[in-house]
Amino acid sequence: MNPVLAIAGVELRRFFRDRSNIFFVFIFPLMLILLLGIQFGVGSAGPIVAVAGGEGTPLARDLTDRLKAEGLTVRPDAASAVRRDVSRGSTDVGLFISEQAGKAYDDAGPVELEVLAAPDASGQTALQALRATVRDLGRTQLQLRALMDGGVTEDAARSALARAKTSAVEPTVQVMESGGVSSEFRGLGRFDLGAAQQLLLFVFLSSLTGAAALIQARRYGVISRALAAPVTAARTMTGLALGRFAIAGVQGVYILLGTALLFGVDWGNLWLAMLVVGVFSLVAAAAAMVVGSMLDHDGAATGVGIGLGLVVAGLGGCMVPPEFFSEPMAAVSRFTPHRWAYDAIAEVQRHEAALQDILPHLGVLAAMAAGLLVLGTWLLRRSLARAL
Amino acid sequence: MNALTALVANDLKQRLRDKSVLIFGLLVPVALMTVLNLAFGGLGDDGPALKPVTVIAGVEDEGPLGDAVLESLVSSPALEVSVQRVAPGDVARTTLDGGSSLGIVIPKDFTESLTTGRAATLQLTRGSTPSLETDVLISVVKEVVNELHAASLTASAGRIAGLSPAAASDLARSTAAASPLMALKESTAPTEQLPLSASLVAGQTGLFLLFTVGFGVVGLLVEKEQGTFARIRSVAVPPWTITASKAVVGFLLGVAASTVLLTSGMVFFGVAFGSPVVVGLLVMSAAAAATSLTFIVVRLVRSAEQANVAQSIIAMVLGIAGGAFFPLQSTGFLATVLELNPVGAFIRGLGISAGGGGIGDVLGPLGVMWIFAAACTLLSRFIPDRSAAQ
Repeated sequence: MNPVLAIAGVELRRFFRDRSNIFFVFIFPLMLILLLGIQFGVGSAGPIVAVAGGEGTPLARDLTDRLKAEGLTVRPDAASAVRRDVSRGSTDVGLFISEQAGKAYDDAGPVELEVLAAPDASGQTALQALRATVRDLGRTQLQLRALMDGGVTEDAARSALARAKTSAVEPTVQVMESGGVSSEFRGLGRFDLGAAQQLLLFVFLSSLTGAAALIQARRYGVISRALAAPVTAARTMTGLALGRFAIAGVQGVYILLGTALLFGVDWGNLWLAMLVVGVFSLVAAAAAMVVGSMLDHDGAATGVGIGLGLVVAGLGGCMVPPEFFSEPMAAVSRFTPHRWAYDAIAEVQRHEAALQDILPHLGVLAAMAAGLLVLGTWLLRRSLARAL
Repeated sequence: MNALTALVANDLKQRLRDKSVLIFGLLVPVALMTVLNLAFGGLGDDGPALKPVTVIAGVEDEGPLGDAVLESLVSSPALEVSVQRVAPGDVARTTLDGGSSLGIVIPKDFTESLTTGRAATLQLTRGSTPSLETDVLISVVKEVVNELHAASLTASAGRIAGLSPAAASDLARSTAAASPLMALKESTAPTEQLPLSASLVAGQTGLFLLFTVGFGVVGLLVEKEQGTFARIRSVAVPPWTITASKAVVGFLLGVAASTVLLTSGMVFFGVAFGSPVVVGLLVMSAAAAATSLTFIVVRLVRSAEQANVAQSIIAMVLGIAGGAFFPLQSTGFLATVLELNPVGAFIRGLGISAGGGGIGDVLGPLGVMWIFAAACTLLSRFIPDRSAAQ
């Protein structure tokens, strides 16, 4: 049997024999994609407004209907719970309807409502929407009052207003994206962006934590014994990297297909997306070999693997989309394989890119993989001279 | 007591020599805090303060209402707005190229359409970067258009009700000029939340506390695997001191790492967490809760390797659910479950403390962590020790 394939096969068997890997490789990524999609994805629930008091009154009903129509999530709750939730940030705005306010609304009189907003940006956005809704309701009251002050009876005023509304066309405010960052995410589904980011984060992270396996192989003399046979360091390294590549590739394809089937993620051309993940997996496998050859303690390698995996993912746009990065941060992100893979997937997912469109991205990723593999082979050879 | 001290001192020496504690407890969280701060920095400031903005306007309307819309933007009390007029065809390009917040095109027949009840469309173009300022501007424009439409409707309703055109127009003007009938008495909640930078520091500290504490207690399994556990038991040392020493080591490592991380956050990112006494109490309570959790882990697993994996899974799940990377919004039963999370309680406690809260104010989060610690310690007594069963 080809020694490269034999070494890769051993790596694969060792990986799948450890059932704990199943959680981090197969379950956790999908859980996180689901969570991110629900919390932050396109079409996720709008700002939350909690309403205390005014149960069953026309004021509460009208406010709730209009706020919901504006895309806000409205839920009734007790006053103390509303205050607690707003201060903790689990609710954006708390609205308190007193008995007097309900009565005043019924009589078309002046109404004052107490509102408590969270101090963050989300709270302020929700407050702005609430202000507009309340003003809108108040305007109707004002129109009625003006007509009644002009000598029109209440019923006649209501009827005239209703007729005026049906005969006039309501003006519209059309909001368009001008391009740039805002339009970059247009058309993406709720889970699409998070799935692309978590796919890259986890494929790289899982591969890097596998560096500990290489250290164990060195510690138990497996590498030395393999090199005692007519197998070169380069072939040994290729076999080990191939094993990690296979694991990363399987995980990548699993996330691609799993998210498409479970969450309806639209990857664009799935074959091209798989190609990007494949080349990215090569970089991840080679990086794991470098870490595994540089360090001598498997616990430290796991720590460095998780740390490096998360940090490089953050720099590469897998936590915050790189479209939001400042110029210097965007420049730094170009040194990470994640950024090139992210851009390639974005091209395929959002712009229906063809193979030739993403060739530059794939080229950079392939060059990174080759560079890391050469570095890893050299480091592995040096590491064998060290005592563990 | 001497035996306990000796065991603790020996374990601490070993753990400090072990690079994993340094990597997991300090290097990785500090690196992550830095990267997350840099990455999230592009999403805007911590506070809701609105920056001055420029609106690019292209006005074709020859009536007064187009100018009234722009006037209302400039006089908006919500934020400082300056208007730059360009040709209507250049609005989108200028808005994008110039980094403006909003572009607005007011069509030729805007005034006439509004006053006669015909269809009128105002075109807004968002700037290239999403911002709170743009959302506020859009709200203001919608508000003004609604007010103008309402005035037009009042005049129309007046005419329908039999008033003279002049009287109806007067009504429209009085409606537009009148004070709003419905008002909001606004106040800001006493916050239990940290600003963005501080919440990242607190979140990463809480998350990696779970890893760091684990190194101390999981040492018990390493001792069993290496045979040193049996050798210690063969000498005249009370058996409880061995377990206690691991718990003390885990607790001390957790407290030390968390203190260094929070201090690093204060020094490098300029964040503040309030009274050192309250923060210290929160750190110790969180370390106690994390230590008690590892008691359960060491009884459930068979080897140190399994314990490390289980510890990682628990740390990541509790960390993410507690808001170590981003705050989770939830309501109902899920919110109650999330509140029992020690990482969430730790972050919430630091939020209260940062807002000037004293010990009495953080009793809620402290209570969550204490109950969590007591429940885990108690539960671990009833779980069969799988590593001993080998």
